Amino acid sequence: MHESLLPVALVNYISLSLVIFLIGVAGVVLRRNPLVMLMSIELMWNAANLLFLTFARVWLNNAGHIFAFLVITVAAAEAAIGLAIVVVVFRARQNVDVDEVAILKG
Amino acid sequence: MILFYILAFVLIASAIFVITAQKAVYSVVGLLVHFAALAIMYFSLAAEFLAVIQIIVYSGAILMLFVFVIALLSSGVAPFSVGPNRLPKIAGPVLFGVIVTLGFLVYGVAHIPAAAVHPITASASAAGPVGAANVFGSVADFGKALFTTDLLPFEITAFILMVAVIGVILLAGDSAPYVQSRRRARIVERDMREAILRAGEE
Amino acid sequence: MSNHIMGVPGSYPILFVIWLVPLLGAVLCWAFGPQLKRFAGVLGSAAIGISFIAALVAWGIATQTSGAQTGAQQPLFTWLQGFDFGLLLDPLSLIWVFIITGVGFLIHLYSVGYMWNDNAVARFFAYLNFFVFAMLTLVLSDNFVGLLVGWGLVGLASYFLIGFWFFKPSAVAAARKAFVINVVGDVGIMFAIFIIVTKAGSIRFADVFANPHALDPWLFWTCVFLFIGAAAKSAQLPLHTWLPDAMEGPTPVSALIHAATMVTAGVYLVARCAPLWSASQDAQTLVGTVGALTALAGALLGLAQWDIKRILAYSTMSQIGYMIMGVGVGAFSAGVAHFFTHAFFKACLFLGSGIIIHELADEQDIRLMGGMRKRTPVAFWAMGAAVLAIIGFPGFAGYFSKDQVIFGALEHGYVWMWAVGLLTAGITAYYMLRLFFVTFLGSYRGEMNPADVGIQTQVAASAATIAHETHEPHAEDHAHAPAWIMAVPVAILGFFSFAAGYIMIGPGSPWAQFFDRSFPHETLPPATISEGVTTGLAVLMLVIGGAIAYQRYATRQALADAPARLKRESETLPAILVRLYYWDDLIELLVVRPSQRLGEFFGRWFDPHFVDGVVREVVLTNRFLGTLVRSFQTGLLRAYALIIVFGAACFAVYYALEGALR
Repeated sequence: MHESLLPVALVNYISLSLVIFLIGVAGVVLRRNPLVMLMSIELMWNAANLLFLTFARVWLNNAGHIFAFLVITVAAAEAAIGLAIVVVVFRARQNVDVDEVAILKG
Repeated sequence: MILFYILAFVLIASAIFVITAQKAVYSVVGLLVHFAALAIMYFSLAAEFLAVIQIIVYSGAILMLFVFVIALLSSGVAPFSVGPNRLPKIAGPVLFGVIVTLGFLVYGVAHIPAAAVHPITASASAAGPVGAANVFGSVADFGKALFTTDLLPFEITAFILMVAVIGVILLAGDSAPYVQSRRRARIVERDMREAILRAGEE
Repeated sequence: MSNHIMGVPGSYPILFVIWLVPLLGAVLCWAFGPQLKRFAGVLGSAAIGISFIAALVAWGIATQTSGAQTGAQQPLFTWLQGFDFGLLLDPLSLIWVFIITGVGFLIHLYSVGYMWNDNAVARFFAYLNFFVFAMLTLVLSDNFVGLLVGWGLVGLASYFLIGFWFFKPSAVAAARKAFVINVVGDVGIMFAIFIIVTKAGSIRFADVFANPHALDPWLFWTCVFLFIGAAAKSAQLPLHTWLPDAMEGPTPVSALIHAATMVTAGVYLVARCAPLWSASQDAQTLVGTVGALTALAGALLGLAQWDIKRILAYSTMSQIGYMIMGVGVGAFSAGVAHFFTHAFFKACLFLGSGIIIHELADEQDIRLMGGMRKRTPVAFWAMGAAVLAIIGFPGFAGYFSKDQVIFGALEHGYVWMWAVGLLTAGITAYYMLRLFFVTFLGSYRGEMNPADVGIQTQVAASAATIAHETHEPHAEDHAHAPAWIMAVPVAILGFFSFAAGYIMIGPGSPWAQFFDRSFPHETLPPATISEGVTTGLAVLMLVIGGAIAYQRYATRQALADAPARLKRESETLPAILVRLYYWDDLIELLVVRPSQRLGEFFGRWFDPHFVDGVVREVVLTNRFLGTLVRSFQTGLLRAYALIIVFGAACFAVYYALEGALR
């Protein structure tokens, strides 16, 4: 553990990451605009990435970097497909209110 | 140290702005600020390559995508809330509970003694000239790992992106092949029917 | 010693003629029935006749000897290691083939007349020919499996024949009963074959009999299982109940099944397996006991019957009991001899009774007969000879064979069976003469009110009515068949009822020589009572029984008040005999009712409450779980997200706690 490599204590990074993550969660749960929801998901990805890089730094192991790289890729793919879905839904219904898109209701 | 707190403030503020902004395009601006601050934070963590990637991929590509979609959808009426809010009332308390719980967890994590954490073996020296090999976080170091020890994740990223591309084309592309052929079949059918009708009249 | 079973191997095409021509006849009658019409009878009879002539021709090869081997053995094919199939014609099977085809031929001939007016002549002769084929399969097989195949086919054929008039519910029931009980026997033989294959490793008679003790310690049980089959087929206690019911078939069927062939299959089986029985004293005792008891029980039941065919059925049961007793205790050639003579006189009795039944338009109750001597003289004389034969009147066929059986029991040390045999001889004399006197003497009672002669129910009458409907509409058509067709076979059989015994007089008789090599010889201690005394006692019993019958039914006085006497007797018969020892009721109580209860239990309770219940519970549980899960499927994307977050938080808490507690 090379916590001394960090400018502030590790707990600050973890807390920061958690706060951003929870903001993202709140965005997904509370907003009805699918675009904002997708952006909130990006916030959560990035909170996770922050944590990866922090621990990679602390442990001097770039496996965290590789993982963050993978996350970014997945996030890009996710955003692309998510936006495509939004476009398709909009084409079909002329609106994209996620509360109205509920035909898979059990 | 000061830098961290400034960045932390910017990050949290911009995140809150993202989820509270009334118009989606404002959210994109908030997200742009957020990503920029995060890239600086990555630099401070010696993740040079990822900081650059953050700017290029996120700010340059993904956010552009968002902007394009917003431009596409906002051309008509505001389409984002046409019905009542259907989220159950229980959602607020649950969310609050989750937040509190995770807060306590972080508080607990902060008090784990350092000796209790067993790091993996370090793979590079702690510091050195920027960009040099065998220095943690340098582009050379990262690239070497990407093409040697961690080749599989790298290949997987290629696969994921391929899937995403194909998926998006199938979902949203207007030139999806099956649609084309079906439409063409319908046209041929209609032509034939008309031809038969004409033949009947004559 | 026992290698005689092997037969001399070789190629014997004549065996295939004997065996397959009846099958050919059956197939032709079946396939071309509508075209053949009454000619089917001629065709069927001809098939059996050819088979009989072939059997005569095969006499030479059946009795040839080569070293220790006797007879002809024709290999057919090998199925598996130890499962060699083939045909075997040796003196024992030759006797059966003679009876099956010879008596069978006469019965076929008779049937041409008897079934003259029936609509389904071709079907009838197809069944008859098929039956003969099945019997021949049984007796010509050189292995246990082939025998079982024949055994099963005979059961099937008897099912067809007994249920021939399938529009009579009673006939269908009787056919079903016969078939079910026969299957019990089949299963018994199957178990015996399992033991034999396991222990001896071969199904061929030759291999099994070469060393009977290879079956130890299961030898006795092999015999028991074989005998279950024999008892079911030969109507031995306790599996006898199908036989009287089987009288629902046409009378020639009764003659063929009872007299000539099917019921004696059990005798054949025991005689064929003589080496096994000779090796197991316990099995001998068991089979002898069952035979003796059946002989007595059948005779007693014969006392209480009024239906002419049922009386004959019980007498069959009784006589088969004699045979089984004979072959059971080890007097094999005596048992077979009784089979031989019995085939003639019993076929004669059945066919003669068929003439009477025909004459009286399907009336079967002897209380409504009487005075038939004038109306059916052929039946009178032939049945007279046959009755004298069955009761063992000196000089007639049964006299010689029955004495041999009774004395054989004594010779082999079973004194009580000897006594039972003698007693049964007396009872037989009584009830057979009773049948004869009541039927043929006195005056015709058919025009009387049935109640006046003690008939309480109208069952017999209604059966006759139904049987009537099977014929073509006009009753006058009955006379169309030439009378000689039915008379000649009866006369021939009557003659043999008298004459068949003369080949078996004395120890050096042709009969004894014929079977000299077929059965194991035992050196027996000299019997305490000589054969002469036995014969004397038998004749004495016969005279006593006959005298009582004469006194009650044949004196001038008795004939005069016959109706009143018959009425009185009908009312005073012991219930236990009328109800057949309550045996059917016992089976009903012990087997049928519990089965029905079990079925009801499963149908009414187990299935709806347990099987369906389980299914219902599964359905309800799934529906409940489905409802539970469905309540989460709100279709609301944000709710899903919340649930995911909640789950993730739970994981986080779990790992945190796990880490904290470690």
